[in-house]
Amino acid sequence: MRHFPTLAAGLALIGAALPAAAQEAERIQVTGEAIDTWCYFSGVMGGPEAVVGSSHHTCALWCSAGGIPVGLLGEDGQVYMVLKIGDDATSNGGDTQLSIASHTITADGMLYKRDGINYLVVAEVVADQDIINRTHEDFGVVPGFAIPEPGQ
Amino acid sequence: MSAPSLALALSLLAGAAVAQDFSEGSDAREWGLYGESKAFFAATVVDPLCELTGDCPDNCGDGARQLALLREADGVMVLPLKNGQPAFTGGANELLPFCGQAVEVDGLLITDAELGAQNVYLVQTIRAEGASEWIKANRWTKDWAAANPDAAGQGPWFRRDPRIAAEIAREGWLGLGPEEDAAFLKEWFQ
Repeated sequence: MRHFPTLAAGLALIGAALPAAAQEAERIQVTGEAIDTWCYFSGVMGGPEAVVGSSHHTCALWCSAGGIPVGLLGEDGQVYMVLKIGDDATSNGGDTQLSIASHTITADGMLYKRDGINYLVVAEVVADQDIINRTHEDFGVVPGFAIPEPGQ
Repeated sequence: MSAPSLALALSLLAGAAVAQDFSEGSDAREWGLYGESKAFFAATVVDPLCELTGDCPDNCGDGARQLALLREADGVMVLPLKNGQPAFTGGANELLPFCGQAVEVDGLLITDAELGAQNVYLVQTIRAEGASEWIKANRWTKDWAAANPDAAGQGPWFRRDPRIAAEIAREGWLGLGPEEDAAFLKEWFQ
């Protein structure tokens, strides 16, 4: 019995690490920009500040339509992978997610944390500010070829 | 707690705390990305919305949903963000034929603690467990071509996709509307 506190602490830590614990959900309201998670996480097109907002809007459309997961880059700096918006679970290139590319929205929904990834099931988009992150003023267009040369 | 149970519990705890190296046996092609690491592993293809919420349609949603890889070695749910094509294309279409099946995959994990990138993946090849032949994860553009036989114009899919073209026609390349777009384009191409 004298080892009980040690075992209890170990079991608590283990419980927190098991997948079942991560499937518990928390209702949250998060404000953030609908981003292209591949370019943001991989750095393939440049630094994280350049692959958001208006500079990257065309690429965000490409990636959303191309089935790359859309995330909300929250004001807290965390990325929330959007699995569903309202009744629309079309997270693989769906119209709803395409329509909010680069928009800053406020989403009310359920947050599931699993293996270091935040998954968001949005019940309602309570505010849509459209595109307010005017990154083109600093970065132009990213990638540079996103807008074809006139006449091409 | 019995000794075997304690050992199992401690091994799970250790596995959760220390990121594992899945590069052994990988033939993945490097992309030169910050935070990339080759990763070959066995997994089951799952629908993450189903795994997390219990909302489980037939066949993982028939292509509508993102799909994930429940890794056999440690139970971690890996989310593929990308397929193997350098064409702005995701991984879900590549996994869909294997919904609910045990597979092996090869590709690149992306890990960047500063940005919060963890357990996200670029899948390059996939095969059903026990199969000898690998399948390249490059079906996305074929699926797109089949779904868009009348897409006009020249060039890659993203230059011809009707939905993207409609968004750009309505809101411009920057998404800020035609007037801002026109002013920007004049300066951008000077």
